[in-house]
Amino acid sequence: MPSPTPRPGDPAVGLRTPSRPPAGAPTVLKVVIAGGFGAGKTTAVGAVSEITPLSTEEYLTEASADVDSLEGVEAKQTTTVAFDFGRLSLPDAPVPLELFLFGTPGQDRFVDLWYDLSRGAVGAVVLVDTRRLESSFTPVSFFEDIGLPFVVAVNQFDGAHRYHPEQVRAALELPASVPVVTCDARDPNHVAGVLLTLVGHAVKNAAAGPVRPTSTTTLQDA
Amino acid sequence: MRTYTLTRGRTKPRHLLGLETVLDAGPGRPGPAQAEECEEILALCRERRRSVTELAGRLRWPVTAVKILVSDLLDADVLVVPVTAPYAASDTDSDASPSTQLLAALSAGLKRKWPDAIAYPQAG
Repeated sequence: MPSPTPRPGDPAVGLRTPSRPPAGAPTVLKVVIAGGFGAGKTTAVGAVSEITPLSTEEYLTEASADVDSLEGVEAKQTTTVAFDFGRLSLPDAPVPLELFLFGTPGQDRFVDLWYDLSRGAVGAVVLVDTRRLESSFTPVSFFEDIGLPFVVAVNQFDGAHRYHPEQVRAALELPASVPVVTCDARDPNHVAGVLLTLVGHAVKNAAAGPVRPTSTTTLQDA
Repeated sequence: MRTYTLTRGRTKPRHLLGLETVLDAGPGRPGPAQAEECEEILALCRERRRSVTELAGRLRWPVTAVKILVSDLLDADVLVVPVTAPYAASDTDSDASPSTQLLAALSAGLKRKWPDAIAYPQAG
């Protein structure tokens, strides 16, 4: 006589169970990791991401804010920008969270992408290679201009001269309020520490009142 | 140009989608008129929720092409934008900075995941 209740081992059991709980999806937060070529952005994203960093492509039309348009693809005004994507889930947080990490190149012709990424972001990490300090100037002024909280993380490359964070602060002309830290971008604990520093800085900024950009076109005109 | 073919000459997505917009599989099915590539998008979103950027990265298509195809799939209910938990207050305005409550939750979540991570003392 067949039992009306399915046995636990029955493969049919659970088929109708929804694959995901009906509760709301985790809240997504994002952090931008900007830096010059070879500063270690992909490494830093990969250190804490649950997936291998994905390289994603987008078209940017030169001197245009219209990132959503493919027009001009056949003409030569369009450049391709590749940026990194990684994510990590924090199910044990007081609120279920998913953190998206976007690693973006530091050249000023990519500011359109930075606007997109910065909108609603927790903040930004400017990853610095002290051998190419000048490539950090553009992202630093960009985040200053739009009022996005950011921290500067000096990636300590093997064999490179180790500067004191205060030397880097002076060279980048950063105010005392901007945290400057050192890290090994390969080490998940270090990168998580940089993220914690950024979150702490963002909380402080939020407490001080929202910073609204006075002009969002400064960099494009530069 | 492959992207152009992918989107059948269309250059703009119908929906306003962010790079971080997350998509989930919905009740609809791609129609015969929809690009084969739509099936690939659906297959990825069935495995788990995926962001626009992640779809583009995995499929190796430009973000704009993905946004155009995702717009088609949203119209057909093949994909849906999942509803986040109600306390995600900052979702009502995606341009707004995350609330201090969310920032505190992020901080706690990171500390739980990496107990050995050191937050540097805050200057200023």
